[in-house]
This record gives sequence, structure tokens and C-alpha cells, in this order.
Amino acid sequence: MISFRPTEEETSFIEVAKNIAKDKIRPIARECEQNRHVDKNLINELAELGFLSLELPEYFEGLELPLITQVQLVQALSYGDLDVVQGLPGANDAASIIRILPESTVTNLTKDVQINHGTAAFVNTVNTDEVREDRLFITEEADGYILQGTSQPVRMASFAEYMIVAAKNSQGKSVILWLDNHNHWTVEQGDYRLGLLASGLGRFSFDGVYIPKNCVVAEGYTADDLLRQVRTRIRILQAAKEVGLMEAALDYVTEYTAERKAFGQVIAKFQGVSFRIASMAMETRISNHLVKEAAIKADEQGSESDGLASRALYRAHRSVRYITDSAVQLLGGHGFVQEFPVEKWMRDAQAQVSLYGREKDLLFQRGEQIIAGTKEGALQ
Amino acid sequence: MISFELSEQQKQIKEMTHWFAANEIRPIAMKAEKMERVPDDWLDNVNRMGIHLNTSSFSENSTQKTSAKDSKKEREGNRMGVLATEEMAWGDPAVTLSLPGAGLGGPPVESSGTPEQKKRFLSIFTKDKPRWGAYALTEPEAGSDASGIRTTAKKVAGGYILNGQKIFITNGERASWVVVFATVDASRGRAGQRAFVVEKGTSGFSCTRLAKKMGLRANETAELLLEDCFVPQENLLGGEQVYETSNSKQTGFQVAMKTFDSTRPIVAAMAIGIARAAYEYTLDIVQRDYPKQGRYFLLASEILAEVEQDIAAARLLTWEAAWKADLGLANAKEAAMCKAYSGKMSLDVCSKCLELLGPDGLDGHPVEKLYRDVKVFDIFEGTNQVQHLVIARRQYAPYGIKV
Repeated sequence: MISFRPTEEETSFIEVAKNIAKDKIRPIARECEQNRHVDKNLINELAELGFLSLELPEYFEGLELPLITQVQLVQALSYGDLDVVQGLPGANDAASIIRILPESTVTNLTKDVQINHGTAAFVNTVNTDEVREDRLFITEEADGYILQGTSQPVRMASFAEYMIVAAKNSQGKSVILWLDNHNHWTVEQGDYRLGLLASGLGRFSFDGVYIPKNCVVAEGYTADDLLRQVRTRIRILQAAKEVGLMEAALDYVTEYTAERKAFGQVIAKFQGVSFRIASMAMETRISNHLVKEAAIKADEQGSESDGLASRALYRAHRSVRYITDSAVQLLGGHGFVQEFPVEKWMRDAQAQVSLYGREKDLLFQRGEQIIAGTKEGALQ
Repeated sequence: MISFELSEQQKQIKEMTHWFAANEIRPIAMKAEKMERVPDDWLDNVNRMGIHLNTSSFSENSTQKTSAKDSKKEREGNRMGVLATEEMAWGDPAVTLSLPGAGLGGPPVESSGTPEQKKRFLSIFTKDKPRWGAYALTEPEAGSDASGIRTTAKKVAGGYILNGQKIFITNGERASWVVVFATVDASRGRAGQRAFVVEKGTSGFSCTRLAKKMGLRANETAELLLEDCFVPQENLLGGEQVYETSNSKQTGFQVAMKTFDSTRPIVAAMAIGIARAAYEYTLDIVQRDYPKQGRYFLLASEILAEVEQDIAAARLLTWEAAWKADLGLANAKEAAMCKAYSGKMSLDVCSKCLELLGPDGLDGHPVEKLYRDVKVFDIFEGTNQVQHLVIARRQYAPYGIKV
């Protein structure tokens, strides 16, 4: 039955997340950005509540929640500040790989290290069309792989205790590797100024590192299938975070324009302002629904979930840019200065969009699926 | 829990209406457009089948059984309404709007009529012969500003004398009755407005012209004239008593506004059905005729992905508005959102599909017709701008600001 109402359990959990977002995350967001890491007290509180391990399986001390529940929670937390949420430690994007892998595989990979609560990064270079300054090369040896080169900037690089690298070798074979030895990589800190500055952005550099066979997570078609599932989950979760930021910007700018006066009246009374607010409200709602639809399909492991995830993320990218830009615009000069949060939100939004998939590429991928015969998205 | 899965009943109505749209509506769509009317024998036939255009689920309330079993069952009439309407409009919007039934006149009678009025006006839609209802609000000088209507209603012994002109009235000439909005005292603004049911054949009530339109040509759009037209007091919607009660907030304006929360999702669903028809048609041609790589393939991939996504987005907004209505939750904001988005999106979708069809699309393809048909969905039942106003008002309501 068509319904837009969360379960009672979800509603209670969302309320907790939203209160933390408003009372604990937003007030310290600027400070976290300046310090380039998230406040430790906040991290401890969120870890205690389980918010850092929503996606991880129970055997890995995670909550193993369905995606439909997770998206509502990360959306609520991101209402506080996207940068802070992206800077939280834990398995992050790598959690989706751990979630999908068989328990025995993960147990084998982690038998020598205690990393259940560690911070991970996920480097995905399987898209060989991607244009890069420095490429990351992977070469197959008789009993392992050699990693050489530098990755693109990824979140959590500065804080990672372990990482998962997905790449294609020169023959086009996909391979996923597990790295938990710090001596295997260095992190190029770079010069990041745009946004998500608390999220540990950096490039991983590998100097001919040998990775033995026992650190290979998956290869070939198995790796391709795994990466497709992981991609779906990551896209949905990242899109949900963007919706949280959209809601924050919409509420903030609605309140601002309801109070700010010009030409003798509150500026909300001007239709140039109020109509833009209405459009922002619609875009936010649309992205919200598309994310939830994709999450439900992914939970059902429906064949179309990959396509629905790419369209949800494309729309979220487009909407979050529009909404955060609108927020700055409607605040006028105040939107441009750091006394107000919206300039930061606009920067964070653009950085997020840069990190998680090129918009047009997401669109082309979806379009190719549609032309190839996957119509179910629009047809229901 | 959040779910986008259709219930068994919803699936059934969707499948049934889709079958009807594909097998009965589509085959006559292009011919009806050319004739600028839906053939009478076709209307007789579908009426005998009991197919009507239902634009509301108010009746679900009024006719609902009150047994314990039924009262536990969640209402789903609004959701079924939008599912069915999307399918019908996918078949053809002009033919769908011409289907017998109370049409847009149904919701005000159902929501605000007395039990006697509901029985008298809604029981005429039987299988013996096709009949229509209609809704007359718009005037030459008042459309979006519904509070500015000028048609007058002067109280006389036993009823009211109506004078004025109504335009853009769907099925206005053929309707057995029309809900007409008029003012008993223009100086009282909205409080002076009343809704009357004016029956066909009433002296002083006539159709002066049928409009020639850009699209929806098979559907009748009438201009109505009320010249010293006497309407008995029992045709005042809700009865006189409801207006005399000092605590009653009922006005004709509220009757007009109340219906929008249920009719806007229906209109949005129609726009979605039209967009989907254009999309599916174009997708078939792209799959068959377009190259599998290169510039035109990329162009088609990008456009079709956007189109498909926009349709899905509009549908989810519409479902949300209908879901809220079924649960009895305030849905004015959601109803305005789905109408605003769907109305604009559907034209854009048809335009993009025409882009993919190229010059060939001008010659005998249905998409150019859908493009002409769909434009008015961004206008009637409240223009896009009016919907923005409604959304903005709800958005600012917590701050006590009326925009």
C-alpha cells in the first residue's frame, strides 16, 4: 500500500537524530571546518548511539539497518551539517562492501587486526574513463597485485586506518583489495578550500605496494557484481545526506525571509522571493521521495535499484546545488559572509557533488539503461 | 512504513483502467481530435459499461459502511483515483475529460451538498444514457482570483436570480447540471459567495459558444450565460441554513477551494499520464531508429533519463498528496506541489520528446497532439503561479506571514 509514513521505531530514531543535528552538530560546524576534523565529544556521543555503524553488519558490531531506515537517519543528521556528517569516523563508504561480503570473507580479511570501530576510506577507480591528474595503476602478479600511483581525492584519507581499493588492471579485470597496513600508503594532504573540509579529504599514494592474494576481496565478475551493489547503496546514502542539507537550507532561508525586511515589508511578501521558496520546497520533496523509492528497491534487491539509485543521486546533486545557491541568493550579501551558515552549505554541496559522481555521467548511465530496455522506473 | 507498492485493489484498478485506455480510448483519440468531439455512439457504449470520470473520493466518506470491519480499513480512494486517472489520460486526455459523470462538478456537490442534493444530483449518472456534471467558476474577468467573480445571485421569493457569464467550462454545454459560483453581495467579498447547482434547460441559462482551443480539441469547453436565471433555493449548495448559522464558515469560495485539494492531484495525474504517453512513444522510436552510439545516442540517453526521472518525481508528489487526503491529513501544500510540478513537467517532457522525434514528429505522430493537449494542465485548476502562491503560503504559515 502506498504510504509515506515511517514506522514508529523510525520516527523515534529520527527524532533523536534531528535533535542532535540541531543542538549538537550545527552549533559546532564552523569550528569543525576550521579544525578540519569533527569534535571528539560529538563523535563519542554519536558512536554510543550507534550512528557511526548504521550500515555495518551485526557481526561487525553494526546495526545492519535496512537502507530505508538509514536514509532517514543520515538525512536527519545532515540537517545539522553535511560536512560534519561526512567527517564522522567509521567504515563510511567501505561499510557497504563489508555489509555485502560474506561474513567468512570479512573474518578472514580482519583476523589479524581489530578494526571494528576503525575508520576506513574507499578508493574506487574502476571507471577507466575518468580523467585524472595522476592515475592509479594495478598490476597482477603471480601471487598478488602491485599498486602504483595516486588516487583522486577521497573522503577520510587523512583519518583512514584501513581502506578498500577497487580498480581495473590493464586487461580490464576488476579487483577489490583490502589494505590495513599503514606502511602501504601515504596521504597527500593537498590544498582543499571549497568544502567538506572536516571530512579528511586527501589523495592516497602508492609506491609499488605489493598486496598479497589473501588481501584480495574479489576479482573479475564477482568484483563487478559486488561493486554494482555497493555503488547502489553508496549513491542512495549520499543522496540522502544531500536531502538533509536541502531541508536545512530551505528551513533556514524560509525563516530568514519571513523576518528580513526591505522596502517596508518582510521580503517573503515579494513573489520573487516566495516563489523561489516554493520551488525549493518542491525540489527538496522530490529528491526526498526519489531517494526513499531507491532505498526501498535496494532493500528488496530489485533489479532496477541500480538505475533508481543513479537517478536519485543525479536529482539530489542537481537539487542540492540549486537549493544551496538559492539560499545564498535569498540572503543577499549576508549569504556570502561567514556569519551565516548558507555560504558554507553551498560550498559543501558543491564539494559533495564533485566527490560523488558527475551529474551528466549519472544521467547518461540511466539513459543507457532505459534505451537498453529498462523502462520500469517511469512505468511503475 | 514507507512503501510505494500498490495494494491489491490499487493494482486491479490500475490494470483495468490501463486496459480500457489502451483498447477503448487510444483507438479513437486521433479521430476524436479531428472531429473536435468524442463520437456519441462511443460515449453511449462506455456509459453502458459503467465507465465514468471520477474526480474525487468524497463519496467514499458519504457512502461508507460503518461496520467495524469497514471502519478499520484504510481509505484509498484518492490513491486509486490518481492511479486510474494517470492510465486514462495516458490513453488520451481529451477523451478522458469527456467521459460521462459528474466530472469536476462532483467534488463540490459531494463535499458541500445536503444529503438530498447529493442524491438528486449524483444519482442521475446511470447506465441508461450518458450524462455529465460541470463546474463553473471562471469568468472573463476572474480566473485565478476566484474571490473576484462578478456573477450575481439576487435573493427572491423561493430562490435566486443569477446574472453573469462563465467561461472555460469543461463539458459545460452537455452537462445536466453545472455548479455555478456567484455572489449575493459583492461588497462582502468571499463571504458573499455562494455555489448553486444550475440545471440544464433552466430558463435564462444558455451556452453561447464552444471555445476553439490549442489542444484538448475533442473535449467541450463552453461559455455559459446566465440572464435573469431563476434558481430555486433548494439548489443552493449546502442549503440556506448553513450560511445563516453565525458560526458556519461555509461560503461559496470555500466550497470552491475545498475541492482543489482532491481535484489537483487528479489533474496532476492526468498530466503525468500524458507525459508518460509521450515518453513511451518516443522511447520506442529511439530504441528502434536511433544509432546505438555517438552524438545522437548520447543526446537521447540524456533526454530520456531526465524525462523518465521527471515523470517519476511528479508521480511520487502526486501519490503523497493523494495518500494524505486518504488519511484525512491537510494536503493543500502537497496538492499544490504535485499540480505545479506535473503541469510544468509534462509540457517540458512533451517538448523534449518532440526534440527527439525531430521534424518527423510534426507529421502524424501523437506527441505533437499531446504537447498541445498538455499545456492547459499548467493553467486550469489553478495556474502554476497560483500553486506557487499556495505552497509559499503554507511554507510561511508557521511564521505568521501571509504572502
